[in-house]
Amino acid sequence: MGIGDARAMHPSIDVVEAEPEADRRLLEALADWCDRYTPLVAIDGTDGLYLDITGCAHLFGGEEAMLEELVCRLSDQGFDTRAGLGSTPGAAWAAARFRLPPVGSGEEAMALSPLPLSALRIDRDVRASLESVGLRTVGSVLAAPRAPLARRFGRPLIIRLDQALGRVEEAITPRLPVAALSAERHFAEPISHTEDIERLVLMLAATLKGDLERRGEGARRLQLALFRVDGAVSRIGVGTSRPMREPRLIGRLFHERLTALEGDIDAGYGFDLVRLAVLSSARIEDAQTDLAGDTIDASEDLALFADRIRARLGDNAVLVPVMVESHVPERATIAATFGEKPWGAGPGVTKPTPQSRNSPERPVRLFRDPEPVEVTAELPEGPPARFHWRRALHRVAAAEGPERIAPEWWRDKADAPTRDYFRVEDEAGRRYWLFREGFYGGAKTFPRWFMHGIFA
Amino acid sequence: MAVHAVAQETIFGLRQKIAKIEGRLAERLDGPAATPSEAAGVVLRHHGVAPAGDFFLPTGVDALDRTLGGGLPKAALTEIHGAETRDAGAVAGFALGLAGLIVKGNKPALPLLWIGTSEIFREAGFPYAVGLARDFGISPEALLYSETAKLADALWIAEEAARLSALAAVIIELRGNPEKLDLTATRRLHRRAQEAGRPVLLIRQAASAEPTAALVRFVVAPAPAAPRSTLAGPLAGSIGSPAFTVTIGKSRSALTGKLIVEWNSHDAAFQERQPPNTRRLVPLSRPRKDLAAAPGTVVAFAPAADEIAARRQPSRQQHAADRGSRRAG
Repeated sequence: MGIGDARAMHPSIDVVEAEPEADRRLLEALADWCDRYTPLVAIDGTDGLYLDITGCAHLFGGEEAMLEELVCRLSDQGFDTRAGLGSTPGAAWAAARFRLPPVGSGEEAMALSPLPLSALRIDRDVRASLESVGLRTVGSVLAAPRAPLARRFGRPLIIRLDQALGRVEEAITPRLPVAALSAERHFAEPISHTEDIERLVLMLAATLKGDLERRGEGARRLQLALFRVDGAVSRIGVGTSRPMREPRLIGRLFHERLTALEGDIDAGYGFDLVRLAVLSSARIEDAQTDLAGDTIDASEDLALFADRIRARLGDNAVLVPVMVESHVPERATIAATFGEKPWGAGPGVTKPTPQSRNSPERPVRLFRDPEPVEVTAELPEGPPARFHWRRALHRVAAAEGPERIAPEWWRDKADAPTRDYFRVEDEAGRRYWLFREGFYGGAKTFPRWFMHGIFA
Repeated sequence: MAVHAVAQETIFGLRQKIAKIEGRLAERLDGPAATPSEAAGVVLRHHGVAPAGDFFLPTGVDALDRTLGGGLPKAALTEIHGAETRDAGAVAGFALGLAGLIVKGNKPALPLLWIGTSEIFREAGFPYAVGLARDFGISPEALLYSETAKLADALWIAEEAARLSALAAVIIELRGNPEKLDLTATRRLHRRAQEAGRPVLLIRQAASAEPTAALVRFVVAPAPAAPRSTLAGPLAGSIGSPAFTVTIGKSRSALTGKLIVEWNSHDAAFQERQPPNTRRLVPLSRPRKDLAAAPGTVVAFAPAADEIAARRQPSRQQHAADRGSRRAG
């Protein structure tokens, strides 16, 4: 019926425009919140969630107790929930929508038989054609012979039946990656102070250390998940350049990160579940401790320093130059983040070769974007005599060049201009690196001059 | 201090006991084996390694070393100023020369950290590893950069880095005279540099001198480079080794000086440039001209033509030597 008819029946109804995007975001937030029960959470359609609670149920006092708690909390948050428990996703789907008691394994056929065909996740037209033949319940479809069904109504119907009965494995694809190792702590009284969270991180890291030691690994990426009582989840990630498992070092990194995120984490009424998860780990070489019990050496010191800076200011805070095989100056070196392995990271990345005296002179500082300059120069290929840069006039006292750098034809477009670089020194003794892009005469566009770098 | 007093007491008590056991006077006991340079007998170790006994880094330029009282103090904060942002290249070049000397002295190659704000890297350019490796001997494996958006973050990184003895030196580059970098902040940096035994170079572009806790302050301005020297003599119109006009603003010996130094990238060392107009102590003897010259109109002198000639634009013919080596595009 249209809005007009509805208004005619009830003049005081409230009409709100549908926002599928907002609904989707809400569902995703709920899925994130359900992470507290199990990491395997998937979104079903536009209004459902799958939770795979294999192996998690005992933490909450049994499967049915867990179900009750879940429904209770969701209704506290203001949602109208229908939850169902089943041994297969199909059975659970049907149990949720038709309010069945928990369906154990082996009981699927019996539980699903009396339900109408909408309990199977099949298309509407397949359902309509089944009903037109007279098969109206799941039980009647199960009783019918399989081969004619497949031939007449298609393979998906048979697959859905098998999935519902558990004859075929169906796995849900979880939204978030499952952590290899995690330690968590529930609180009866929610915590909200940063010092408490940091102390908790130390405690959880100490718990993780034992497991990591047994595997001979250290953590490379860690994630701290803070679950608020009212349903919001904050996730704080920290990366390290070397695998580490010392609790106090992990605690220091999180301290930096939490200091940087001071204003962004809103504790609300407090967090009642805190989980520290190891998202990726790597082998660690065990070093023999000396008598002082101190194994940190100089390079580890530096790695820890870089990790703390990156935790506070972001991943690109500490960079390492990596030389690349390229004659174009701005591509000859790239800045890589500290701790990533640069060797073999990409095509053309090589170990640095010592620069010989015969290689052309290169400036000490390079501008990321060459700045345009107005130049008076001898035509057609002479060095500049005067140039105007950043609102100041510079008179050239000496010039060296030109050094011709052609574009890399295998990377750039066919009409990329050639550059002629000049080292110039002005009267005060400042040395610059200018280039002219293009040639005078012959080319379609007038060549332009740019300032690319500064020499010592 | 209290810890030291307690330690001294303990050591004193032990010496008495040992003396009694050995049947000698406590004063006659041998002191701890002292290295010749450590007269006090106390050796400070970092990670089991005692840092070099010399406190100064000789810059290689006698006049500079003399004025500084021996050289650049290694475990201290040093300030290098530039008067304008246009001089950023010269200031950075001098600082990198000092860094190159420091890196050359370290046997295991320790990395160098260069911290700067986005503002200064945008204005003066980002450090270019190819040029640094070629001219100053700082290899890309031993170089780390850090670029931050805010000055407070750059200062925080510098303070944390100044504590590490795993770095060869820390260079922090700023612009102007911000209030955040006041006397207390520089004193903190200086103390941390002293404790770690590593130098911290504070580069200020477009700044005026203000009181800081640094032991040494240099004010650097650009200087014209001497032409390249070839077998046939200096190549006119060429640009040779980089040169800087260094004024010592503040040093331990309270002397100031101004001189022109050049950086020799072959030897990775500084050299002093002799000023071009050296006056001879004894004038060359020349035949006396007839003093009573014919009076006439006095025309203007031509000033010393050497300098101007050296600065003149090279003509096309002179480029022949380096023209031949130009690759076809």
